[in-house]
Amino acid sequence: MIQLLHTPFHERTELLCQPKNWRRWAGYLVAGSYEMSLDREYWAIRNTAALIDVSPLMKYLITGVDAALLLNRVVTRDIDKLQVGQVYYTGWCDEDGKMIDDGTLSRLDETTYRLTSAEPSLRWLTMNAVGLELEITEITDSMAALSLQGPNSSSVLNRCCDNPVDEIKYFRLMHNELDGIPISISRTGYTGDLGYEIWIDAKDALPVWDALIAAGHDFGILPVGILAMDMARVEAGLFMIESDYTSSDHAWIKAQQSSPFELGLGWTVNLDKPGYFVGRPALAREQREGSTWKLMGLEVEWDGLEALFKDVGLPPQILSMAIRASLPVRSGKKQIGYVSTATWSPLLKKYIALAHLQKPYFEPGTNLRMEVTVQHHRQYAPARVVTLPFYEPEWKKR
Amino acid sequence: MKTYDAIIIGAGHNGLVSAAYLAKAGKQVLVLESRAIPGGTLVTEEFDGFMADMVQSGNLCPDIIRNLKLARFGLKPKPVSEIPAFISLLPDSDILVLESDPVKAAESIKRFSPKDAARWPDFLTFMEKATKFLESAYDTLMPRLPKVSLSEGYSLAELALDLRLAGRKNMLNIIRVIPMTAVEFLEEWFESEQLKAAVASVGIHGVTLGVMSAGTTFNLIHNWLNRGGLAHQYLGRAGQVTDALVAAAEAYGAEMRLSAEVTSIKIEDNQAAGVVLKDGEEISAQTVLSSADPKRTFLTLVGPMELSPTFVWHTQSIKMRGSVAKLHLGLKSLPDGMAADTTYTIAPALNYLERAYDAAKYGQISEKPYLEVTTSENVISIHFQYAPYKLKQGAWNDKRDTLEKLAVDTLAVHFPELQSSIVKSKLLTPADLETTYSLTEGDLNHGQIMLDQFMFMRPIPGWSNHKTPIDGLYLCGSGVHAGGGISGASGRNAAKVVSKEI
Repeated sequence: MIQLLHTPFHERTELLCQPKNWRRWAGYLVAGSYEMSLDREYWAIRNTAALIDVSPLMKYLITGVDAALLLNRVVTRDIDKLQVGQVYYTGWCDEDGKMIDDGTLSRLDETTYRLTSAEPSLRWLTMNAVGLELEITEITDSMAALSLQGPNSSSVLNRCCDNPVDEIKYFRLMHNELDGIPISISRTGYTGDLGYEIWIDAKDALPVWDALIAAGHDFGILPVGILAMDMARVEAGLFMIESDYTSSDHAWIKAQQSSPFELGLGWTVNLDKPGYFVGRPALAREQREGSTWKLMGLEVEWDGLEALFKDVGLPPQILSMAIRASLPVRSGKKQIGYVSTATWSPLLKKYIALAHLQKPYFEPGTNLRMEVTVQHHRQYAPARVVTLPFYEPEWKKR
Repeated sequence: MKTYDAIIIGAGHNGLVSAAYLAKAGKQVLVLESRAIPGGTLVTEEFDGFMADMVQSGNLCPDIIRNLKLARFGLKPKPVSEIPAFISLLPDSDILVLESDPVKAAESIKRFSPKDAARWPDFLTFMEKATKFLESAYDTLMPRLPKVSLSEGYSLAELALDLRLAGRKNMLNIIRVIPMTAVEFLEEWFESEQLKAAVASVGIHGVTLGVMSAGTTFNLIHNWLNRGGLAHQYLGRAGQVTDALVAAAEAYGAEMRLSAEVTSIKIEDNQAAGVVLKDGEEISAQTVLSSADPKRTFLTLVGPMELSPTFVWHTQSIKMRGSVAKLHLGLKSLPDGMAADTTYTIAPALNYLERAYDAAKYGQISEKPYLEVTTSENVISIHFQYAPYKLKQGAWNDKRDTLEKLAVDTLAVHFPELQSSIVKSKLLTPADLETTYSLTEGDLNHGQIMLDQFMFMRPIPGWSNHKTPIDGLYLCGSGVHAGGGISGASGRNAAKVVSKEI
């Protein structure tokens, strides 16, 4: 029998998860939310501190003199520029320059890197490591991970860690200790807020959870599920594999694949690095010729939305969570794209969406129309193309 | 520094054929050979005072001999009447003598089966049609399926026409038999075990397959084409063929450097830029032809970091799996009853051959091996199957005596005086073939001749047209379509492709 796995925090999260709305994430069970409504969890991310179990992330340790050669070959960014203690966000592509997956890559020491991914990647890494002197170890099970997000997150960590975390710059990491437990803390996250990810040996998972909850008490810490995180990440303009793009490994047809340029990751494609890397020829061509699709933000215009609902005698009805569904986007009567995730943004008080738009409709300021369902009828609400992210607090990178 | 239009890696017969064709077309060509003598596996070398065709002996395609005017350089095919017999050594001092003259062969067959003797001429006719078809296929560039370009489509249509011209019935028959086992194929023709086994042995020659493996009929046709029949039909000693090729290539203006081992191919922006030699010397050229096997070419000389992961994976998956050892015996004189310049096979029964192969499946040396023996005045060269490159137990260097004894004992059953006339011997294990002759896993064919590694799938699907993912780098060796064994066809085809592009 196939059984979904428990994360190293399950003993705690199981008791805390009131609605029992477990979600599947890479073969693990994780809490959708801990409370019946998402409100408090969402606001914990934006106002205080949210503790999120992100252990199901696939994690790989790549170590050896040729580790950088492998990573430079696999990912699109220039690994020679990644310093010890630095973290890169990066995607990686197949030979046609289409996205396979994305994740963070941390340089732990001169020859050791940690890569996270959403999908199993051991085979791909191994296939690319022919003739190289290195070792690839999957540490998904043996390493627990917590994401502590929100403006108070640094205060929580400063209270319980041996060394203050204030010195960690955005996308850097540090080794630290908490009640004698060695941990590694990176200033990364999936909410677009101030936040950290904490990497822990699985056996130390529970004491670290307890210490953070205790230290966070005075800062309004709250265990937060992935549904509230889903709302925050849309505000932050961050896409999610299998919701917002299909891994080229899983695509049935070419139209389902996306290039990094199409997803707004052009900045991670370092065509100026030397030598071959997977997808390079196709990516160079796309950069030269331009992309036909682009991932942009879409803001629904409230007045237009209100008018559609008014016609049937209702105030606007919007789910107070992220909707991972494909919604057509039109210009006039013609479909020119689709929304892959939409959400109500409690902070911005706007109905926002991540939209894949065809050239030339992806220019910011373009007026389009997005499908909404009004009393069981499909209608189109006016919406405007905006650049991502929708929300970026000044303390995110400070 | 002198610049070259093309550098050719390896002075084996295919490298030399490519070089001669390109030089003849007016290109500045440099051939680099790692060993101190040219020829690759087509070499006559000395051991302790004896001369032997060390690895393979062979024939070149008639059109190559013609086009390169090799007769001028000392190569003269023997008249049909002088083609030696193919002799199967049987238990109890019996022999089956398959002369190239069908009437004489039928006489020998008659002793085993009058019915088979009657069918022999028809069989030869069928084999001639089948080899004609294969010859056309080996003269046709295979398309990069599933996309077929107009010119590829045209030559494929020509190939289909050739097949059609063989007659409707023959056409179907040729296609039908290609995937068959040698046993199934020969059982449709003959009843005599001795005849079936003798012919079937040519179907497993050089491959790690048994007579009951699918596609050994194809290998039979392939070997029949390369040899020009059952027996090795000598153009001369291996070294003489090579000498003629070297003389021709040089006369057309190609340069050759011996003891010049290429350790890597230089690549700049996915374009071949030249080669690096073992001593560090770099030689530039925008076009490089490699006659090294595809695994060695891509995984060692180019290096996996320059190639896409799928391509690397496909290259790694090429089946080499050599299981041939060569033993040369230097003799006082040939034992009684043995003739010079003759091909003998020890393949007494189909089951005998299949059992010999069974050992290879399990990483063992055949206790009762299939041997093919070629002779000169005072040297016997034994092709020993099966001696798998990857032994289940032990290392090849510890098995030398075992193998040598097995080979000699097996042959001595038929020539009792053999043992006492041996003066010196020279054994090449699959490991030796790899180190000395750069044959990955000791595979004589640079990739097994198997149905999933033939035609448009040789060396790997999509790359049978001599081109590679690296611009300006071409394959011209045995590992690509038309190759395997000695014929020069892949070297000739590569030169044709390259001369169109440079």
